[in-house]
Amino acid sequence: MASISEKPMDVFGATLSRRHFLKAGGILAVGFSVAGPELLTAGTSQRTTMKNSLDPTLPSSWIEIHPDNTILIRTGKNDFGQSTTFTAYRQIVADELSVPFEAITTVIAGDTDKTPDGSGAFDFLGGGMPNIRKAAAYTHQALLDLASERLGVPKSKLAVKDGIVSGGGKSVSYGDLVKDQQLKLTIPVKGSLTSISGLTIEGNPPMKPVSEYTVIGKSFKNSVTSSKVAAKETWATDVRLPGMLHARVVHPKTLGSTLVSAGKLDQAKFPNSQVIVKGNLVGVVASSEWEAIQAADQVAKDTKWTDWKGLPGNAKLYQQLRKQSDWTAAPVQKSDDTKGSPAAVLASAHKKHSATYELPYMKHAPIGPTMALADVQADGTVHIYTHNQNPQALRGEIAKMLHTTPDQVIVHAYPGPGHYGRSNGGNAGAEDEAVLLSQAVGKPVRVQWMRADDMQWSTQSPAAFSDIQIALDDNHKIVAYQADHYMPAMQDDRPVGAVLAGLPTMSAPDVHSGGATSTVNEIQDPWIYTSVPNVLERGHGTFQVGQKASPIAVGLRDHSMRTPVQYQQNYPRELAMNEAAALAGVDAIQFRIDNARTGNKKTDSAKAERLIGVLNSVRDASGWDTRPSPHSGAVSTGPQPVRGRGVSSLLRNGTYWACVCHIAVTPDSGVIKVEKYTIAVDPGIIVNPLQLKRQVQGGAVMGISHALLEEVLFDESGVTQYDWNSYPILTMADIPEIKVELINNPKVGSYGGGSEAANALAAPAIAAALHDATGKILRRLPLKPEYVKAMLST
Amino acid sequence: MATLNVNGVQREVEASPDTPLLYVLRNDLQLIGPQFGCGLAQCGACAVLIDGKEARSCVTALSDVAAHQEITTLEGLPARWAKQKGLSADEAKSALHPVQQAWIEEQTPHCGFCQNGMMIKATELLESNPNPTVAQIKDAFTNSGPSPNLCRCGTYTAIIEAVQHAATIMAKGR
Ligand code: FES
Ligand code: FES
Repeated sequence: MASISEKPMDVFGATLSRRHFLKAGGILAVGFSVAGPELLTAGTSQRTTMKNSLDPTLPSSWIEIHPDNTILIRTGKNDFGQSTTFTAYRQIVADELSVPFEAITTVIAGDTDKTPDGSGAFDFLGGGMPNIRKAAAYTHQALLDLASERLGVPKSKLAVKDGIVSGGGKSVSYGDLVKDQQLKLTIPVKGSLTSISGLTIEGNPPMKPVSEYTVIGKSFKNSVTSSKVAAKETWATDVRLPGMLHARVVHPKTLGSTLVSAGKLDQAKFPNSQVIVKGNLVGVVASSEWEAIQAADQVAKDTKWTDWKGLPGNAKLYQQLRKQSDWTAAPVQKSDDTKGSPAAVLASAHKKHSATYELPYMKHAPIGPTMALADVQADGTVHIYTHNQNPQALRGEIAKMLHTTPDQVIVHAYPGPGHYGRSNGGNAGAEDEAVLLSQAVGKPVRVQWMRADDMQWSTQSPAAFSDIQIALDDNHKIVAYQADHYMPAMQDDRPVGAVLAGLPTMSAPDVHSGGATSTVNEIQDPWIYTSVPNVLERGHGTFQVGQKASPIAVGLRDHSMRTPVQYQQNYPRELAMNEAAALAGVDAIQFRIDNARTGNKKTDSAKAERLIGVLNSVRDASGWDTRPSPHSGAVSTGPQPVRGRGVSSLLRNGTYWACVCHIAVTPDSGVIKVEKYTIAVDPGIIVNPLQLKRQVQGGAVMGISHALLEEVLFDESGVTQYDWNSYPILTMADIPEIKVELINNPKVGSYGGGSEAANALAAPAIAAALHDATGKILRRLPLKPEYVKAMLST
Repeated sequence: MATLNVNGVQREVEASPDTPLLYVLRNDLQLIGPQFGCGLAQCGACAVLIDGKEARSCVTALSDVAAHQEITTLEGLPARWAKQKGLSADEAKSALHPVQQAWIEEQTPHCGFCQNGMMIKATELLESNPNPTVAQIKDAFTNSGPSPNLCRCGTYTAIIEAVQHAATIMAKGR
């Protein structure tokens, strides 16, 4: 096709180049230039194109403006029920481009060959600056440059409404601007595509002023919900390939067993089945799913494993964690809020609270067990069809396992059950197993874990304990706060099938592993009681429990789960705050406000103001009765329910939270019923009130479930829970009245994340309410009847 | 060869009689509404209606279902509603079941993986109790089936609101 090239134009650090095409068509596509290590040819600054990826030097990647004024966006961030990619991302792009929400007709998310930036299904709003926003801002500037040239009007005199640029009495639509041209906007990007955080757009293109938002702030619906509800969506579980086989995996007997002998298949009964053994990985493939299940059961019964007893078991968990874990495995971390000399103040304080708090391993427990369909082709290309929070990271892990390069691996992303963080490092369990079995049989293989596999062979949110000390002065204010948080490594991203098969993986978490996968325990619960003069928070990290002792390097593998690290640090802090308030004889909400305020409104920090805002809001909305805890009628015995209330607060990803739980507890049975749950949220600008409310309600339910019920039970060999009866979660009958107060706070100038953290607030508030009702405190989760009853009777 | 009556259509299936209905629906009949959640009748993800009653297809053997019994999956809810209301074929084509409409209006699902079972349960409930109270909804979703209908994303509040919304749509008859 004949074309005329023009010289490139600079757009705030991005480069706009174009060709006029003589035939109809045209598009403005936003690509990017990359300085990421794996996209550079070694030793040169020459960019190369990774096969099966969006070409970083050619048009395509983020946003396409079409001649018919429709817009397509692409993101590596895959939806897991947060709705953000289909609602907030469209709203953000629509506002930056000044087009209606409906103009963004297509969202492509997750597929590694069709999306640009990688990273995972977490922190969607990226501190108010998600990649897609910057991509839109650059695109907007490029369109203005084009319009300025086309209309002969200076850029500063142009205005855009509904995708029409006008100025000087003339106007042109975005669609007309791109018609018959091929435009390429190249924007600066840094990072590594297959790392956990993927690529980040650089530079500072001008952004639309908050005051001009018209799409952000409205309750748009999630387009995918409609197709899911109508059974029109293709889920990962629905994908079928020609010649595909079904598989089940026979996982080892314990978290440290090696294979003695694989069971012999009863070929007469299961004529279309086959056993595959790779190291300690035993799989059974069959032409039908039901045969695969039955054949795997038969083979499992006949498979011999070594025994292993290398775990402490539940009863000894905290004792062993404290005494026998290697807390020198990582340097001690201190928070940025460290100030003064708390040790000295604590030593001389005459009013002091000092206690240890413990919280258990918990399961992500997706409602559907992990599954994946893999197709390892003769030429070495690997296709994986699955539901994964970080498809680009999975690509890197599979390439490593197969001694190949990521360009050989394509991950196709589909909807599936929520993972709550379990696959944000690239795998949930079945992906690598499907690849290995497909490679072995030379056909596409679909691995579906059964419920027991998912309970016993998945990762879990790590257990932790904390020592907290708080000194009070005579004015009932905190003069010193000291916290020591202890936790095994948070995130093990080694694919378990590769580990079992003895194939290459990243190393198990140690001090050298990067970021989240390290043994380093950073302080991730930002300090919010800003007027406290002496603060010290330390994080102590160690190896995963049993992993080094396990002959197959497994043990209790951990993985970040909704509000990770912060959950483990905020529960002890907030419960201790309630106890300190009780010791001071001050109402627990007022106590928090007093310790955030400087005493002079003018010098209160913006942080304190927002915290006080959510605390006041939750106080009013919950019908909180201002008084010290415990309640004057607190009772810790008897068959009659007694009532109490507790509060908690938290700051995460720019969002302030406060929560009040009203409970009834029956001392004789230890049964706690949460009767009312009230939560106030200030995320700054609210992007989509309806979706935010739904996310907060969901997080509330999950948090109550964590607080009341959830704990991984294990013996010396492995996890002993295997289904929903042995690992119960909250049912509908158990939910309280849930009240959500959304505080839109545009003067913050940005939007914080609101989908995630609501799960963290219930536990400390309920534990404080138990203290309020009974006068007794349980400093360990979960607050299940057995533990509550035992505590109350001592 | 077994004969099933699914969503108003007679379907022939070749599968061993002990095959759980779930795998027959998903793998042989390409009806993907029901999902595999536990395979143990403990969650509800796989639910279908059999003669109007919620059943867990993961533990219902193919041989447990007689040819005359009516199986309704999520895919069959619009036609079920159209038939109950005597809608014309044209109207039926575009209409979702009120439960599905309400689920969209209320933006009930998060991941949505459990919601097949939730919508099946809601349909069962509303067909016998057109105007349930919150307590009746909670009871139905917790105690009426082989197990509580579980949602890990915690959408129970949104489900309650959607059931009540569906009840108002059904009362209007459209
Ligand atoms: S999959 Fe059938 S009840 Fe869970
Ligand atoms: S919506 Fe995700 S499990 Fe219910």
